[in-house]
Amino acid sequence: MKASSPASSMMTPTLMDLVIKKHQGKPGELLGILEELQNRHPHKYLPAETLEYVAEKSGLPVSQVYSVATFYAFFNLKPQGEHTLVVCRGTACHTRGSKSLLASLKKILNLKEEEGAEKIFLTTADKKFTIKTVACFGQCAMAPVVEVDGKMHSHVTEMKLKGLIDALVKGEKKK
Amino acid sequence: MKIHDLATLKKLRAAGLAKLMPTKQIRIAVGMGTCGLGTGAGEVYKAFESELKAKKVSALLTRTGCFGFCAQEPLVNIRLPGQPLVILSKVAPASVPKLVKALVKGEILRDDALCRIEDWEHLTMETVRYGKGMKDIPLWNEIPFFKWQKKIVLRDCGLINPDDVEEYLAVGGYGALFAALRGTPEAVLEQIKLSGLRGRGGAGFPVWRKWELMKRETAGPKYIICNADEGDPGAYMNRNEIESDPHMLIEGMIAGAYAMGAAEGILYVRAEYPLAVERLRQAIGTARELGILGKGILGSDFDFDLHMVEGAGAFVCGEETALIASIEGKAGRPRTRPPFPAQKGLWGKPTNINNVETWCNIPAILARGGAWFTGTGTATSSGTKVFSLVGKVKNTGLVELPLGETLSTLVYKIGGGAPAGKEVKAVQSGGPSGGCIPTTLFSTPIEYESLQALGAIMGSGGMVVMDQDNCMVDVARYFLEFTTSESCGKCVPCREGLNQILRILKAITEGRGEPADLDRLEHLGRVIRDTALCGLGQTGPNPVLTTLKYFRTEYEQHIKDKRCAAGECQALFRAPCENSCPLHMNIPGYLQLLKENRMQDAFELVIRDNPLPATTGRICRYHCKVRCRRADADEPVAQGEVHRYIADYAYNTGLSEAVHEKLLAERLPATGRKIAVVGAGPAGVTAAYYLARLGHAVTIYDANEGPGGIVRGTIPEYRLPRAILEREIGFIKRFGVKFKYHTRIGKDVQLARLEKEYDAVFVAIGAQDSTSMDIPGIDLRGVMPGVEFLEEVARDRRPNIGKQICVIGAGNVAIDAARTARRLGAQVHVIYRRERADMPAHDEEVNEAEREGVKFSFLSAPKSVVGKKGAVTGLEIERMVPGDVDSSGRRTPVPSGETEIVPCETVMLAIGERVNAAFLKPLGITVRLNGTIDTHPLTLQTSHPKVYAGGDAVMGPSTASEAMAFGKKFAEVIDRQMMDGQSRFPQLFREIPYSRDVPAVPQSGGKRPLRELPVAARRGNFWEISSGLSEKNARAEARRCLRCDVK
Repeated sequence: MKASSPASSMMTPTLMDLVIKKHQGKPGELLGILEELQNRHPHKYLPAETLEYVAEKSGLPVSQVYSVATFYAFFNLKPQGEHTLVVCRGTACHTRGSKSLLASLKKILNLKEEEGAEKIFLTTADKKFTIKTVACFGQCAMAPVVEVDGKMHSHVTEMKLKGLIDALVKGEKKK
Repeated sequence: MKIHDLATLKKLRAAGLAKLMPTKQIRIAVGMGTCGLGTGAGEVYKAFESELKAKKVSALLTRTGCFGFCAQEPLVNIRLPGQPLVILSKVAPASVPKLVKALVKGEILRDDALCRIEDWEHLTMETVRYGKGMKDIPLWNEIPFFKWQKKIVLRDCGLINPDDVEEYLAVGGYGALFAALRGTPEAVLEQIKLSGLRGRGGAGFPVWRKWELMKRETAGPKYIICNADEGDPGAYMNRNEIESDPHMLIEGMIAGAYAMGAAEGILYVRAEYPLAVERLRQAIGTARELGILGKGILGSDFDFDLHMVEGAGAFVCGEETALIASIEGKAGRPRTRPPFPAQKGLWGKPTNINNVETWCNIPAILARGGAWFTGTGTATSSGTKVFSLVGKVKNTGLVELPLGETLSTLVYKIGGGAPAGKEVKAVQSGGPSGGCIPTTLFSTPIEYESLQALGAIMGSGGMVVMDQDNCMVDVARYFLEFTTSESCGKCVPCREGLNQILRILKAITEGRGEPADLDRLEHLGRVIRDTALCGLGQTGPNPVLTTLKYFRTEYEQHIKDKRCAAGECQALFRAPCENSCPLHMNIPGYLQLLKENRMQDAFELVIRDNPLPATTGRICRYHCKVRCRRADADEPVAQGEVHRYIADYAYNTGLSEAVHEKLLAERLPATGRKIAVVGAGPAGVTAAYYLARLGHAVTIYDANEGPGGIVRGTIPEYRLPRAILEREIGFIKRFGVKFKYHTRIGKDVQLARLEKEYDAVFVAIGAQDSTSMDIPGIDLRGVMPGVEFLEEVARDRRPNIGKQICVIGAGNVAIDAARTARRLGAQVHVIYRRERADMPAHDEEVNEAEREGVKFSFLSAPKSVVGKKGAVTGLEIERMVPGDVDSSGRRTPVPSGETEIVPCETVMLAIGERVNAAFLKPLGITVRLNGTIDTHPLTLQTSHPKVYAGGDAVMGPSTASEAMAFGKKFAEVIDRQMMDGQSRFPQLFREIPYSRDVPAVPQSGGKRPLRELPVAARRGNFWEISSGLSEKNARAEARRCLRCDVK
């Protein structure tokens, strides 16, 4: 699969206008706009231009939009890879070994964590895989859980994790 | 259609009821909350869909939320017309065809049946009666997980279809609201006041007071907000409440809005809960269509509407002023109060915020009345609370308990305790703002005030159970990482202070901690608690403060010993196996050396860490394998069997001599210091081994005729040939250690004399006194302690035990006695009051005993010993039934009244052994209630400065390697102390280089078999059963290692 060109990852102003209009005047307006724009982006993130555009259209200072986009864990300012693996770092998952799962995942995908980073957002050089963490998925009874491309996997072990990634890599090769 | 009158409401209700309890159709409802979906509920639903279609079965297939027992998901409930509702657990798509086939015949397969419901209280209507019968399936509240629960909030969860408002109406939904809107707002408020309901989000503020403040405000518009931004990691009750019953939340909010005079409501829901968001969105839409939201609600003149905002993941938004800022489109930073939101909230207008669960209680309170609500819970904490019982506990799920129930009920009786073989250590209550509560405080009732008194909080109801494999320092670090990254950065104490705490915790977990850190942590914690702007900062230090308070020794071990016993702090150990080994043997090292065929180096590495490798390699419980990562793939590596192989090889080939010579030559010059060791068991001889190598003069006193203690006295030859033990202890003698046998301290020599003559005394006695039982006939001839029997046999005597014997007990002594008696030709019957899985004895030993023909009676408690003319003729036993789970994680045996007599000539008691340290009394040394000696956990010092203790003497009955670890530790501690603080102990070890390549493809396959004597060949002799791993298999085991030591 070809890496998507910058043009295709840009969202059209018309689309952005529609989203902005939909949320305007409602409680939580800015959160709603940013959440929807991120979800609609093929790489599930908010490029700087998008933030600027939203600020301009909703009459807010760019600083406020940027402040919101960086304050909340949900927003990504970097593009995500084709596959996203989200390791839950909730308390139940932590007590059941999610920290070492995360370490194995990084090892498997050969990713190095930047020193001191608490929230993890790492993408492989080939842009195939992104690994992230979440504070808690609320799937605590099934801990540890890992979400792979939107599907939740329960009671994950290192072996299971390897299997999941192998399956994704195989899927990639088939394409 | 809009619901404007009672007639319409009733019509829709009837339509709903027809779906909930079809009179002619089968109803199949698949639990499809997030937890169900995460374990395959979607596939189960599809399987039912296609199977019903293929078999042309007329059934109502639908979906519900979650019934709460998440560990048993996917849950499916099925009802045949007129019959009880049956809840099936762990339903797999593969079992669907069988289930449907039975359904067609009018039957419900029992394979997956968990429980049944005959009647149900939805609280908002009269009792629902599903039907009677199917008595062979337990009632829902008869099974331990539900037995203590009371479902007020979760009244509909898992039973109705959350996407179908008619089903909500069917169970009386919106009925309370319908009535309330026809009364006054004051009347609603009055009922809430009567109920005593307190906020369920954390702080527990009385709800009515908050509502009343808001009601008094006149400047509109007024807003109400539901905080559904469940940010507390480890808590997920709000997710489930919304996913399973969204309309109860909407109804509660409308009623609240009516009482407070608000015209607009906002639901602030986490974006990480997509299913909850979706179900809520749909429910709001439906409510609008039916005139439940909007203008003239339910035919009244009250107008109100709801909007949803998706929270984007910020824990601080649990703070109400931060949440308000977030809705206003800003970063969620809190501000100082007053003004309180009730005066100045969203957009500067009066605002009320309550948690999901608080709102969900409202319809039930209005339907039944505030006074009814106080009938549950305690005087100050009325009602129930939903807890997410998760972490290291067998039965995970959502538990709704009346407030005031104890933590012990929650963790043991409901949760079933820790997973098999593990022990619960603590429960973490209240998330990052809460604290860790140790098991010793589990009798505490769960209420707002009682938990606060322990330094924890109830919070939103997260209850994360921790076991022995969870490090408390790491837990504190985990929470501080969380709060530090979630701190909004506005106030200094939180932003900088929490960071400093984290910096110190990181240092401690990485082995860079210093003793003064503990005071620093406490000081910082107190300052932050007292000065931070909002709840996040004020409660942020709680996880540190509570772990420091209740688990200080763990911190000290990290700082002083640089050890993390739980095996979580990576920097403090080589590999999980090494860390779990009480002796900290370099397991990956000797496995690798074996792979490299460097046998002498392998033996050297082994014996530096463990002076009795061939002995422990035969009898150890193998602590190492419990944490082996290989178990994840197939089975743990047989680490212990491999060191036995290495040692046996070295002794058999004479290779050991070169290593022995080397260690003898290395012995440090004589120091002139003298140490007395009491007890020549594993702890004592190990202490002597290291002390002698350090150049000290050691004398061991023992009451018996030879060394080895309990290992020599009670472990039968077929498990450990005495020659092996003697050979290994013989090497220790070569360092000049003096052994004085037949010398009992307190009788032959007084402790006071040792204390005078030696620089230090190490008390390393074993737990050798057999515990007796208080039952009739216990004094009859023929009743004997199992330990005594084993000791006699070990002395090559053959006590006359007769043809039939009963052994009472289930530990290793019981099994050793049983197998020994069997070898002497007796019929042996082991009597145990609990179930087989509960036996403390090694599983393999029990299996072997069974193979050798030992009979077992489980759930049988001895009631009396019967006899004739003063001699035993039988043992009366009473059948037991398993009761509630107790604090050992096992079900308590409960007498059934049914008895029988097992004929026998000998009854052996093996129900436990105690330490007898009476000889310490003259020196006034503190002994604990259970007979063990009170020592400092890090220095092993007793209350007397020159007397130290270790092994069974301190721990009670323990394994040989655990006891040896005490000996090793004592040598290290006392050497440093006697040699003016010099650290000489590390000189006794040597880094032997070996390959650090992780095998690309480790050896495949499970654990390799041992060479064993066939069962038929074991009768009438004491030949050693296992001759260990073959060379080929030992090497294969070494190649199975995943090399966790290479990081």
